[in-house]
Amino acid sequence: MASPTSFQSQIYRSLPEIERADAIVERISKAIGLGLLKVGERLPSEASLSEMFGVGGATLREALSELREQGVVETRRGRSGGTFIVSQPPTQTDTIREWFLSTSISEIRDIGDEHSAIAAATVRLACERAEAHDFDRLQELGRALVLATTPEVRAPADSRFHIELAVSAQSPRLANAEIRLQQETVQQLWTPLAASLDPEAAAAEHLELVRAIAQDQPERAQRLVLAHIKRNIFHLIDTKLTLSYAASTESAKASSS
Amino acid sequence: MITDNDVVPAADTLTAWIGSVSTEIGELSVKVASLLEENLAGRSKVSKAALVGLDDLAREFLGKNSFAVGAGTFFAGDFAEEGGRALEWWFRKNDGSMERLDADRTPGSNRYYDYEKLPFFSIAASTGEQTVWGPYIDYLGFEEYVLTFTSPVYTHGKFIGVTGCDIRIKDLEPLIMPTLRAIPADAALINSSNRVILGNSGMYLVGERIKPGAHNEHRVALNVPHLGLSLVYAT
Repeated sequence: MASPTSFQSQIYRSLPEIERADAIVERISKAIGLGLLKVGERLPSEASLSEMFGVGGATLREALSELREQGVVETRRGRSGGTFIVSQPPTQTDTIREWFLSTSISEIRDIGDEHSAIAAATVRLACERAEAHDFDRLQELGRALVLATTPEVRAPADSRFHIELAVSAQSPRLANAEIRLQQETVQQLWTPLAASLDPEAAAAEHLELVRAIAQDQPERAQRLVLAHIKRNIFHLIDTKLTLSYAASTESAKASSS
Repeated sequence: MITDNDVVPAADTLTAWIGSVSTEIGELSVKVASLLEENLAGRSKVSKAALVGLDDLAREFLGKNSFAVGAGTFFAGDFAEEGGRALEWWFRKNDGSMERLDADRTPGSNRYYDYEKLPFFSIAASTGEQTVWGPYIDYLGFEEYVLTFTSPVYTHGKFIGVTGCDIRIKDLEPLIMPTLRAIPADAALINSSNRVILGNSGMYLVGERIKPGAHNEHRVALNVPHLGLSLVYAT
């Protein structure tokens, strides 16, 4: 049989059978990274985790033991026992560097295109649907980036704001799309591999966006969020250019001077 | 301020590289034409027997030119036998092995790959010269973001189709970015419809179209015949 084209392989992509334990480890690590699960929080019981993930007990225990080995969770016995989150997973600088080296500029631009589409619809709906208490909450989350002092906490602070923005638009599908896009890029955005992103500027943009939504100005909100994403994508492309092609720029400078 | 003189070395490097791609597909079209003349032996329709050996030419091309992800021949509809295969296109899979492209050639089908309407075919057919098309998403064909170089094929003076190759945009990037990065300004390789093929900064993003006429934008045409490529830079 002919092998499927890339669009078809989206449909027929293999179901992760053996890597299910890895998938659980990644799911939980990413959720902690995004601030959806907090340090100190207790995970649901092993039985309900197996049921929710749709895996057997052995697979689940394999995943938890991997997370224990990484020092991310700890299992305590006894009445108030269970599996607890004890630390942030590492930002995995090497993984992120590898992402930049293996992702082309056209692919980064494409992520920005998708994100722009999702975000434009999200902020328009947020203008119509968000209410006063949403504005206060979004303002607080938008500002959180300034209080975050390390890349490890900036990434979850930033993504939390954008996910809650989608939540205020009342669309589970848009919120899911936003979560996926955040998981794909937020660590890359805040891990300072080349030039680093200015959290104050990003927070100021968040707040201006919340103001536009609170004042029900969909055109302005859309323009602001698109500019925000564009700036982020430019930052990713700049980082990519520096990591992958710095040598060619250096030699050009040397030969022109 | 930078001038055309600062861009000339990069333009020369790109011209040489793209010129070599053009030479490669020119040679491929000559080989395809002579093989077909031999196989057709006077018949006017491309039957299955007439395609014998074309697969080897495509695979040989891919083996030699690692920049290309696909190569082969598309035939003009008039020359394909009814119900016969009208293309002999091969692509390189991720594991490095090569496979024949199996596009839907049933007119009216939802997934009908009507390549004769695509510019890489129609432009080469109408001008009788080499052409390059892209970046574009080759939906229903190879289904990736690619640049396609084609050359018309003539047997006994009659146009019978095009032969050429696909280069994935993500594979092109590492090949030409060092050259673009050596230009001390925002710069990009653009096609004849002012679309960015690759830029050296966020200012010129792949796939975007440049509105001509900006006073701080300058162009240097690349001297590869018929392809209409230029280097654009901002001062």
